[in-house]
Amino acid sequence: MTTRFNNLPTLKVDAGEKVPFTYKGKKFYGAKGDTIATALYANGIRIYARSLKYHRPRGFYSMDGECSNTMMEVDGVPNVRTETTYLKPNMVIKEQNVKGSADKDMMGFMDKMDWAMPAGFYYDVMHKPAKIWPIAQKQIRKAAGIGALSPDYIMPGKYDEIYPNCEICVIGGGPAGMTAALAAAESGKRVILMEVRPWLGGNFEYRSAKYADGMSYNERAVQLAKEVEACENIRVFLSTANVGVYNNNLVTGFQIGEEKDVFTERYVEIRANSVVVATGCIERPLLFDNNERPGVMQAGTALRMATTYGLLPGKRAVFSIGHDLGLEAAVTLFDLGMKIEMLADIREDGQDPELEKAIQARGITLLKGWVAATANGRKQVQSVTMTTVDGTVSRDIECDLLVASAGFTPLTGPLVVNQAKLKYDSHTNFFLPTDIPERMYAAGRLLGYEDGASIEASGRVAGYEAIGDAAKADAAKKALSELPGPARGCKLINAPVKGRKSFICFDEDTTIKNVKQSIDKGFDVPELIKRFSGAGLGPGQFGIPGHNLPLYTAKYQAQPEVKIRPTTVRPPLVPTNLATYAGTNHNMFKITPIDDLQKKDGGIFRNIGVWQRARYFSNDLTCKAEIENVRENVGMLDGSTLGKFRIHGPDAEKALQRVYISDMSKCKDGRVKYTAMCNDDGCVIDDGVVIKNGENDYYFTTSTGRAGQTVEWIRYHTRYDGWDFSIVNLTDSMGVINLSGPNARKVLEKVTDTDVSNEGFGFSEYKEFSIGGIPVRAMRLGFVGELSYEFHVPSSYMKSLWLMLWEAGKEFNIMNFGVEAQNVLRMEKCHIILGQETEQRTNLLDAGLGFLWARKLSEWKKVGAVALRQAEGDESRLTLVGFKMENKHRAPRDGALIVDDKVRGYIATARDSFALGEAVGMALVEKHMSKVGTRLSIFEDECNGNLIYGKVVPMPFYDPEGKRMKM
Amino acid sequence: MFLKKKPMWGEKKKLKSSYDVVLIGGGLHSLATAYYLAKDHGITDVAIIEKNYIGYGGAGRNTAIVRANQRTQYNVPLYNEALKLWPVLTKDLDYNLMFNNCGNLNLMHSEAAMKAARMTIATAQFHGVESHLIDAKEAKELVPALNISEDITFPIHGAMFHPPGGVVRHDAVVWGLAKGAAKLGVEIHQQTEATGINTQNGRITGVVTDKGTISCKQCLVSAGGYSAALINGFLGIKLPISVLTIQAMVTQPIKPLLDHVVSSGAYHCYANQTLKGEIATGAHMDQWPNYTTLNTAHYIKHQAEALSEFLPALRGLRFMRIWGGLADMTPDMAPIMDGNDQYEGFFMDCGWGYFGFKSCSAVGKHMAAFMATNECPEILKPFNLKRYQEHKLMGETAALVNYTPDN
Repeated sequence: MTTRFNNLPTLKVDAGEKVPFTYKGKKFYGAKGDTIATALYANGIRIYARSLKYHRPRGFYSMDGECSNTMMEVDGVPNVRTETTYLKPNMVIKEQNVKGSADKDMMGFMDKMDWAMPAGFYYDVMHKPAKIWPIAQKQIRKAAGIGALSPDYIMPGKYDEIYPNCEICVIGGGPAGMTAALAAAESGKRVILMEVRPWLGGNFEYRSAKYADGMSYNERAVQLAKEVEACENIRVFLSTANVGVYNNNLVTGFQIGEEKDVFTERYVEIRANSVVVATGCIERPLLFDNNERPGVMQAGTALRMATTYGLLPGKRAVFSIGHDLGLEAAVTLFDLGMKIEMLADIREDGQDPELEKAIQARGITLLKGWVAATANGRKQVQSVTMTTVDGTVSRDIECDLLVASAGFTPLTGPLVVNQAKLKYDSHTNFFLPTDIPERMYAAGRLLGYEDGASIEASGRVAGYEAIGDAAKADAAKKALSELPGPARGCKLINAPVKGRKSFICFDEDTTIKNVKQSIDKGFDVPELIKRFSGAGLGPGQFGIPGHNLPLYTAKYQAQPEVKIRPTTVRPPLVPTNLATYAGTNHNMFKITPIDDLQKKDGGIFRNIGVWQRARYFSNDLTCKAEIENVRENVGMLDGSTLGKFRIHGPDAEKALQRVYISDMSKCKDGRVKYTAMCNDDGCVIDDGVVIKNGENDYYFTTSTGRAGQTVEWIRYHTRYDGWDFSIVNLTDSMGVINLSGPNARKVLEKVTDTDVSNEGFGFSEYKEFSIGGIPVRAMRLGFVGELSYEFHVPSSYMKSLWLMLWEAGKEFNIMNFGVEAQNVLRMEKCHIILGQETEQRTNLLDAGLGFLWARKLSEWKKVGAVALRQAEGDESRLTLVGFKMENKHRAPRDGALIVDDKVRGYIATARDSFALGEAVGMALVEKHMSKVGTRLSIFEDECNGNLIYGKVVPMPFYDPEGKRMKM
Repeated sequence: MFLKKKPMWGEKKKLKSSYDVVLIGGGLHSLATAYYLAKDHGITDVAIIEKNYIGYGGAGRNTAIVRANQRTQYNVPLYNEALKLWPVLTKDLDYNLMFNNCGNLNLMHSEAAMKAARMTIATAQFHGVESHLIDAKEAKELVPALNISEDITFPIHGAMFHPPGGVVRHDAVVWGLAKGAAKLGVEIHQQTEATGINTQNGRITGVVTDKGTISCKQCLVSAGGYSAALINGFLGIKLPISVLTIQAMVTQPIKPLLDHVVSSGAYHCYANQTLKGEIATGAHMDQWPNYTTLNTAHYIKHQAEALSEFLPALRGLRFMRIWGGLADMTPDMAPIMDGNDQYEGFFMDCGWGYFGFKSCSAVGKHMAAFMATNECPEILKPFNLKRYQEHKLMGETAALVNYTPDN
C-alpha cells in the first residue's frame, strides 16, 4: 500500500485505521474514510474496468460518478460506482464485463475494430441474410450490459423513506449552499440543506490554497460548516444525493446510511416552499486522443485524491488544463512532492496573477496555448504528445499522470428537470439556466463565479430571495456586484487531432469521429446524435458528454453555440437503486370490519379493487359446499365493500333523477328500489338499491368498484343546475352482512323480537330494527335467489352482529360463503354483475335492464337516456343471453368466444350448476343470435378448432318464478 | 459500405409551393404512410411536415414493444399484419430494425384476469395468432426472476404468453422509414411547423406552415399526441380524445436477465430488457389529462415498488433515466382512422394512445392505400370516427375508461 500523507488539514481518511476488503479474491486494506476507488488506487490498481464496446482499459478519471470507468460489483450489487461509494469492512469487490481481467482483457482487440463500427453501424449490418440476425442478436445481448444479476438475487440492506417539509430547501452544501442556508435561516424559517458528500464544504473543502489573508479555503469551509451546524433551524442531510425536482418544488433524493443508521439507503422526498440550487460545477473533459487512458485524470480528481485521501496520484505529471483550479492543483501537488513535467494551459491569457507568481516561484514552466493531443501508452499513460492549440508544434513528454481538463461545466440538473431552460453564455462558456421556475434560485459556482467571496455572496443573495426578504436581497446583490463577477471560461473543446480515439462519451465509447459521422448522416442536433451514436445514454448519462456534445455539434456545423441546445437532462440526476426508490414498499388495501373473523374462518382472500375480500372458504374452488349450504340451509357473506351513501337536502331527489335511469320519485317508504346508472353512451356503470329515509333524504348503495367515484360523478352531472344537496360517503363507516338461505328467517327470529315473517317483512322491503341492541338497517333482497336479508350496520357493531347471527345459526349449520359462491348463486338466477356480464360496450338495454329505464322522463336529462334512444334499434350490438350446453356437463370456460366465420360474442360467466345439475351460463352475443333456441358455437382457447355448442334459453335458470326469494 | 456520408433522409430542401400529398407530423405513422404511398402507389410528390425532428414524439419515446394479442377481432388482424412486417421492412429498407422476437408474457393476478386473458387468447387463436394461457409455474420457467410466491400484493395466478411478440428498435424504425421514403422521393421537412389547413367548398386545398403555404389535394394529420389539438385548431373538428402524459424509464445496463417482455395490469407495470442490457419499464399514464410530458416523483417510485414485488432481483439495479411522452386516448382505447368524411382530401390517423408504435407499419400501408385510391380498406373501416356518434365503442378494453375531470 502506498504511503499516505497524514498531516494535511483537508484529509478525510485515517491512514492509521485499516479497513480490510477483498478484491478479485485477494485481501487488501484501505484506510478508514476511503472510497472503494481510492482504496484500490492506494493498492496500486490503475485499470478498474474495460469499456463497453471497445474494451478499452479504463481508470480513475472522475470523482463524482460522471462515468462508468470505476463501476464494479460490490457485495454482489452490480454497477456500483466505486468512486462515490465508501469502503466498508470486508467488502467483496469484483470486476465486470471482462474476459480475463480488466488488466488483461481478451476482448481488448475490439479497440482495433473501430473502423468497422462507425456511429449507428449496427443498423446497417447483421440483417442480410435474415437468418443471421437471431444468432447475431444473442451475441449482442451477451456483449452488452456491464454488471450481472442472477434471477434469484436478493438485494441486501434495509430501505426506508422520509417525507420532510421545509420552507427552504438548499441543494448543495458547498460555500454558496451554506451561505444561502445561513441567510435563509436568519428568518427563523425551517431550512433543509442536502449534500451528496458525507461532509459540508464543496469545492472549498479540499483546497489548501489561500482564501483570504490568514485563511485557507479549507479553513473557511470548516468555519462555515460550524456556523451551519450551530444553526438550529437548518436540518442537514449529508450523504444525500438530489435526484429530482418536480412541480411546486417537490425535491427528491436518497441518503446513504451510516453505521449508526437503521437504513442502508433511504428515499427522501422534501416539500419545500423555495429551492436554492447551489450544486457547483463538474469538469468539462478535454477531448484528445486516448483522453480516457488510465493515468488521465481530471484536475479536481488529482487534487482531491491528494488532499482528501492523502494519495499522490502520480510521480511525474503533465498538466493540460484550461482553468485556474488546474493551476492551483499543480501548485498544491507540486508542494506535496509531485514532479511536474509540463504545465500547459489552453488559455493564452486570463490566468490569476497570484497563481502565476506561485508557479514561477516553484520553477514550473507554464506554457500557454498548449494542449494534450495524444496520451501514449498501451494500458496506462507513459507519455503525452503535447501540441500548441493551433497544432503546428508538438512534443512528447514522459509521465505517469496526465491531468486534463478543458474547463468547468455547471451542474444545472436540478433546475433543468424542473423546467428551467439553458442558454449558451459566451463569457463563461457555460449553458446557463434561464426561465428558472418560481421560487427556485441558483447560486454559486454554477453561475460561473470562481472567486471565493463572490461564491459566498451569490449564495447569500439566493438565500434572502428564497425567504422573500427583498431588502436584504438587494443589499446582498449590491455586495455581490462589488466583487469579481463570473470568470471567463475556456472555449476549447478538442485538441487539434482527427478524433478517431477522442472520446466524447466514455460509457458508450463514442468518439469525436462518431459525432461527425452522425452529423454527416443527417443527425444534426444533439438529441438525435445522442440516439444515433449513444453519446450520453450510458450509466454516467450527461456527466461526460453533457456540454461537449452541443459545443462540438455547433463547431462541426459552423454554427454559433447559442443555436444549439444540450440534450435534455432527466431524473434521476444520480442513478438510484430500485430498492431505494421502493423504500418500505407498503401496500394500501382496505380491509372490512370483520377481516380477522373471515381470515380465522379460513377465507382465501383476493384483492378486489381497493379491498381485500374472502373469495373462497375452502380449497375447492368450485365452492360446492358453500353454494349448497346457501341453497339448502343458510350462509353468511361479508358484503362490507359495497358502496354506501346518504344523499340529502332540498334537491336530493333531483340529483338522483339525473344520474339514475329509473323514476326516482317512485321510491316508497319502507321499500327497496333496485336501479342503475348509465354514462353518456348509455353504458351501465353502476347498479344498486335506493332507500327513501324521508323527503329528499335517501340511502343508496353502489357496486364496490364505483364507490370511489360516485360523489364526483353526481356532482359532475349536476354541476350546472345549482341544486342544493349533500352526499355523504358511508362506505367505510357501515358494514354489510348478507344472510341468505331457506333458514335465514329462522336464524333472524332467534336474535330479534321484530316481526320478520313474510307478512311483517316482505320481499323488497326495508326495515330498521334492533338486533341485540344493535341498530340495523335491514333489506330483503334476492341477489342469490334465496330468502335473503342484508343488514347494514355501523362498522363498529359489525363484529358483534356477525357473532350473534353466527351463534344463532349454529343449529342450522350456518356457514360462510365467499365472493365466488355468490357469483355462481347469482349467475344461476341470471342476476348480473357489472364488469362480468357487461363491459365497456354494453348499454342498459344490452344488459337486459331496459325495464329500469323511465324513458318518458326526458325533463330530467337522465345521463345516458339520449344514447339509449339512439342505440335502441341497432341490431349489431352485443346483448346478454342465457344458455345451456348441448353436452350437459361441460360448461365452457369464461371468456370463450361465440363464433361463426367471425367473432359474434363471448361467454360472460358459465358454470356446471350444482343446483340445476347441468352447465348453464350467460353470454354477450350479437342481437340476431339472442333469440331463444339459437345454437351457439363456442370457441375456447386451445380448442384447436373443435367447437362446443350451446343453446340460448330463457333466463333465469333457477327458480324462474322467484318463489324462493319471496318465501 | 460503412462510409456512406450522405444524409440518410436526403439533403435539406426548400419547401415547394405545391405537393400532391402533405403529411403533418414526422412520426412513425406519417413516415410509414409516406413510404407506402411512394412504394406501393408511386405517389412520390409528398411532403412530411415536422415541427421538431423526426421521431421527436411518441416514436422516439415508446418502449418499443410489439405484439398482436389485442382484445377484439378488429385489432388483432391489424397488429398481426404489423408484426409480420418487421422482417419484411428490415429487408426492404435494408436497415436493421432489430426485431427481437422474444415473446410477451402478460401476468394475471386474479380469476377475473384469467377469464379476460382467455377471451383475448381465444380471439388470437381464432385469428391464427399464437397465444397461450400458462400457469404461474410455467411463467417462472420462462422468466426465472419472477416472484410467484403468495405473499406479494398481487400474487401471480398465471400469464398470457404470446410468442410472436417482442421488441423492435424504435429509433431504427423512424430512421429506416425516413431513409426508405426519402429514397423514393418523399421530402422530409424538419423544423417546419404546420399552422393551418386551407379548405374550399368542403375540400382540402392546402397546408399553411411557418415556411410558407403549400397547396395540396390531400392532407393527413398523424401527429401523435398533438393530432387532436391540431385537427380541432385547423378544422374545428372535435375528437373524443384526451391527451395524457405517460412515463417510462430505464435502468443501467446489465447482462441478460429478462428474456421476455413481462407485463402486469394489476401492478401497472411492464419490463423488458433492451439489446443494450437496460431494463426498460413503464406502464400507466398520469391520472389527469395534460400535455406536459413532465416526469413526476411518484411515478418512478411506483415502478420501483411494483418491480420490487414481481421481479425482486431488479432491486439491485439502478434507474438511470426517466422520460415522458403523450398518449392520446379515445374512450375505447382504439384509434381513429378516417378520411374523405368531413372534408374531401382530409385524412386522420390518431387516437393511438400508447399503441401507435406496434401498429405503424401496417397502418401506413393501409392509410397509403386509402389515400391513393380514396377507398377505405376493409381493415380500417371499423376505426371510423362515426362509431362514437353511434355510441358503439369498440370494446378494445373491457373496462370503462374515462379521462375527463369527472372520473
